[in-house]
Order: sequence, then structure tokens, then C-alpha cells
Amino acid sequence: MNKSLVTLALLAAGIGGTPWALAQEAYVVGLTGALTGPVAGTYAPVIESMKAYIDQVNLRGGVNGKPIKLLIQDNQGEPSKAAADAKKFLSQDHVVMVINSSASSTYAPVIAETKRAHVPLFFAGAVCPKEVFPPAEELQFCSTSFAAQYDSQMALAFIKETAKEPVKLGLVAMAIPVSRGEIDYAEGLSKTLGMTPVEKQIVPPPTPDYTPFSTKLKEAGANWVYSWAPWVTEIKTVEGLRKLGWSGRYIAWAHIQAEEDLARVKDSDFYVVGANALFQDNLPVHSEIREVAKKANLTYPVQQLAEGWVSGMVLEQALRATAWPPTAEKVLASMSSLKVDTKGLRGGPIEWTKSNHFRTQQYYRVWHWDTTKQAVTRVKDWTSYVVK
Amino acid sequence: MQTLINILVLASIYALISCGYVLIYRVSRVLNLAHGEFMMLGAYGLLATASSFGAHPFAAVGVASVMALLVGVAIYFVLMRHMTGESVLAAVLCTIAVGILLRGLITLTWGAQQHYPMEQLGWVNSSISVFGDARISAASLGLIIATAVCYSGLFLFLRYTRWGIQMRAAGQNPLLAAQRGIRLNGIYALAWGLATFTGGIAGMLIACDSGLQTTIVTIGLKAFPATLVGGLDSLLGALVGSLIIGTAEVLLINYVDPLLSDVAPFFILLVMLIFRPWGLFGTREEIDRV
Repeated sequence: MNKSLVTLALLAAGIGGTPWALAQEAYVVGLTGALTGPVAGTYAPVIESMKAYIDQVNLRGGVNGKPIKLLIQDNQGEPSKAAADAKKFLSQDHVVMVINSSASSTYAPVIAETKRAHVPLFFAGAVCPKEVFPPAEELQFCSTSFAAQYDSQMALAFIKETAKEPVKLGLVAMAIPVSRGEIDYAEGLSKTLGMTPVEKQIVPPPTPDYTPFSTKLKEAGANWVYSWAPWVTEIKTVEGLRKLGWSGRYIAWAHIQAEEDLARVKDSDFYVVGANALFQDNLPVHSEIREVAKKANLTYPVQQLAEGWVSGMVLEQALRATAWPPTAEKVLASMSSLKVDTKGLRGGPIEWTKSNHFRTQQYYRVWHWDTTKQAVTRVKDWTSYVVK
Repeated sequence: MQTLINILVLASIYALISCGYVLIYRVSRVLNLAHGEFMMLGAYGLLATASSFGAHPFAAVGVASVMALLVGVAIYFVLMRHMTGESVLAAVLCTIAVGILLRGLITLTWGAQQHYPMEQLGWVNSSISVFGDARISAASLGLIIATAVCYSGLFLFLRYTRWGIQMRAAGQNPLLAAQRGIRLNGIYALAWGLATFTGGIAGMLIACDSGLQTTIVTIGLKAFPATLVGGLDSLLGALVGSLIIGTAEVLLINYVDPLLSDVAPFFILLVMLIFRPWGLFGTREEIDRV
């Protein structure tokens, strides 16, 4: 049985923990996330990676001479559990920050609880709510790589730049509000860029066979397909299209599973657009993550850990800028003026200001599988967008 | 033609899962609500054997199939046998508990990430051209063939073999069957074994076609309306119910709105429950007893 996952589960159940951290005064932070349940594949690697990062920080002496005590609760992507977690963190554990790493359906109760207690709420690896964009709501912050509207602007700009023929665009979303909203936005945007949207498929989450959805896209005559949805929908739709013999080009958001799957499907016409550097870049920070993952015997493949690592960096930096003894007000002040060097994991620093709790600049790269080099390669280097 | 192929694939998925629900209900009168988890266990079983017998893919599939069968037999002897004499509701609740336990154990053992057993077996899920422009993946074709073989095998088994006839007798009148010397525990265990075997095969083939994640369990739930529409104690009903649900889903995706495909099975089930609650081919008395 996987030791690392069992440890996380025990921590989430309130059993075990880090005796060193518990024995001392610490910066106490509560994380409610989907460690198990139907959406765990997206969030559990982020949580595992962030915990590994914070463990490293604690091993190096913590921040400002104090350890970070990261309390983790498994909400299984369920709003009621997330609400209970937030209540516990705020009323019993007296945390100075709450982190949400789960499905967007868990946001409302957690936001309500943190607002009541006036404690900052940090979205890590979970979709950034619109309240973090300018003009930002006072208490909400987000470090997640993907961002509604900006991602589609980049993806469609890439299609326009790359396509040599008139673009007949197929669009794919999962039947969840955030994905549908983004694909509706992309549909409108594509028209302004001179493309013709020919088909839009909204795929229900528990779908046993993606071929019927892919069939519609193929039969509509799409020569490009863009998908902004959870990875399962993005990858299964492109595989469904290929099974049908579709020879067009496909671009999707580079979720944490993208690097492995690009190498698995080996399809040079399948592009991913993303904001985290892939491990094929082999940066020093990637070596560091590899080493930690090996030492801690982490459950998830190392390629899936960058997002959580960035979240850990942001958390560390926010607490480092908070003088001891910490209060929610002090943490909030430090988060409202923060600049985090991501050591190349992103195209630039994550910078939060009083009115922008997403980042001031969003950077993107595009990758695909290069059949000549037999490797995942970059087809477009960092492109930045000013977040207004 | 592609639409027809899509209907056949989806109906095969539902039918292969549905026959497990029917077998257990027909023989032991227990509604097994852990069937989705048994299907998932079969798929993860293949993942485990694929990493152990990677060089011998057929051996990996064979061992995983036998394991799937033995799991059902073991569950019966360890757990369900002790439900004899208890209310039907107690047995159903017991299957729910087994399902939760299995889901938890699988998540702790394999995590929540996506796996690709086909790749580990060294096989390629190639696209095969059938009837002009229509295409089908190798694993989907496998699903259709497996469904045909399983149902034909089960019809022959139940009609012509000694154990099959005993199974039908135990399902119709367990007291009389026991008085005639039929060992009920053995028959019930066999029914559980066959149900987890067919469910496991479905799980393995779905995992080979589109990857494996813990969310596969929801497909088991989606097959449930097909079983009820056909009739909970009828194998033919399971086949017809799956075809109806599969057809409705694919046609809605093609011609109306893909979102409706998610609710269509439950809408058809509701209509069926209003007008013919025992299903198309089910037995009226049986559903009254439930």
C-alpha cells in the first residue's frame, strides 16, 4: 500500500501529524482539499506536492524561526465537508490562512466561513474564482496556473498564428459551470479572430465512451479543436477523435497530467498550452522536486508536482513576510503585497497587489510531441499577458 | 454507420455490467449496489497483473479474470452468506458498505491518478475500419465481442448445464431447491463469482479503451437504469434495456443536446417505473416482493 498516500489520509483524518511542528509554536494553516473522491486526480497531487514542499521548509528551520503547521482535511470535493473543514480550522485550530484545493462547488461555503472570520483564503491548484482578478475581493487569493479568458486568448491566438487554412473550430467543455463558461467565451472570441466555430460539445462528467462526442466534432468538419476542461475530458476527446481517424489539430489546457500523456499518445498535432514549465526543461528546481519526491516516496508522478510546488512557494513567501506572532490580519497584509520568485516554474514571478490577487502578468508556453526528436518539445516560448 | 457502432459500443458496456446485477438478483434476491466497485476492482486487478506479468499479456488478463471471479465467491462466503435470513434491506446495505470499503482501499493502494493498463500490457488500442467510413477501437470491438460471448455463454449455461439449471431452481424456489439436494451456498457463491467476473471483464475493457481512474465506478451506476428498464431478473431484459439506454444516449448526443444524454437513462427509468415497474422482461411478482 502506498505509504505516502496513507500518511496523507491519516493526516486528513486527524491521526498522526508532525510531532516537531505540533510541539512548538507554529504558523498554523488549514487546507481543505479533494484527497479522495471523483476529482482527486486533479487536486491530490497538488496537495501532496505542497505538503512535501512545506516539510522541506520545516526541515530547513521553518520561516522566521517557526515551523509551518499545515493541517490537511479531505473534503472529497463535497461542499458540506469543505464547510465543516473550514469551520473546524477557524473555530478550533485558529488558523491564520485557509487553503482550498478542491472542486469549485466547495468554494461558496469556504468563502462564507473565511469572510465571517476575516481570514485570508488561498486557492491552490484549484480554479481561480473571478474575485481574485482586479478589482480583487479583499480576502481571496490564487496561485493556480490556469485562468479563465486569458487561457482561451492564448490558445486561440496560437491557433490563428499556426493555422495555414481557414479555421473550422470544434470546442469541448465538461458539463461544469467553469468549463462551459470558458468555452462559451472562446466561441465568441473565435468569431472575432475570423474563425468559424462549427461544433461545441459539452460532455457530462461520468461518460463511459467519448466516441459519440468525438463523432459529432469530426462530422461537423472541424479542422482544429480547442478544449478547456478537466484533463479527463480533454485527453479522452482527442483520443476518441483519433480512433475515428480524425486528422485535424487539437489544443487543450496543459493540466498537471499533460506532460506524461503527451509522451504516451505521441501525437504531433496535439498541442497543450500551459503556464508551468514542464519537466523536460530540466531546471534546477525540477531536480529539487525530483529529489524531494524520491526521498518522500510521493504517490504521484513527479511531472504532476509543479503546481503544488508553486503553491508551496507562495505559502512560504506569504508567511515569511508575516512577522511573529502571526495573525490573520498580518498574513492578509503580507499577501496583499507579495512577489514570489518561482525559479523558472512560471514565466515570471507571481505578484499580488492590493487590487490583483491573481498575478499581474500571466505567462504561457505551448508544447507538443515531436516525432523527429521523440520527445515533448516547446513550440512557443513564454508569451505574457497583462492581467487587468 | 458510425452512429450505429457508437450505439453498439455503449450498449455493450451497459449490458456487460448489467448482467452482474441480474445474476445476483435473480439467484439470491440481493440487489448488489457494490457492483460498480466490483467492476472497478476487476480493472485495477488487471493493472496489478499487467505490472506483474507485463511480458505475458494474455496471462495477465487470465489471472485478473480468475481473480475477479474469486473475489465474488469470497465476498459471498465471507460476508453475504451471513445475511441469510436477514431482511433484504440488510443485505443491500451490506453491499453498500462493501462498495465504500473497496473504493477506499483502491484509492489508498493506487491513488487517484489515471492509469493505462493497455500500455502496460504492451498492446496498442488501434483504430479499426469497419463498414466504409465507420471506425472502432480494438478495445471497443473487444467489448462487443465479450458481451456477445458472455451473454451466449450465460444463456447456454443456465439452460443446458447442471449447475445452470440448479441456479435457476435456487432462484425460483430456494426452499424446494434445497429440499431436492441443491447446495444453495455453492450456487449463490457461483452467481456472485460470475457477476464479479462479468463486471470485472467490463471494467478491464473500459480501462483498456479509455484509461483507468477511480471515477470508473460511476459507469457502474449508469448501467443500473439499463438493468431496471429491462427487468431486474431477466438477462434478456438487461440486453434490451442496455440497447434502449445506449441508443437514447447516442441519438441525443447526435441530434439534440449532449447534455441530455446524462439524464436520459434516468428519465427512461422513471417512465418505466410509472408504467411497468418490473421492467420490460422482469417478473411482476418479483418486483412486488422487493
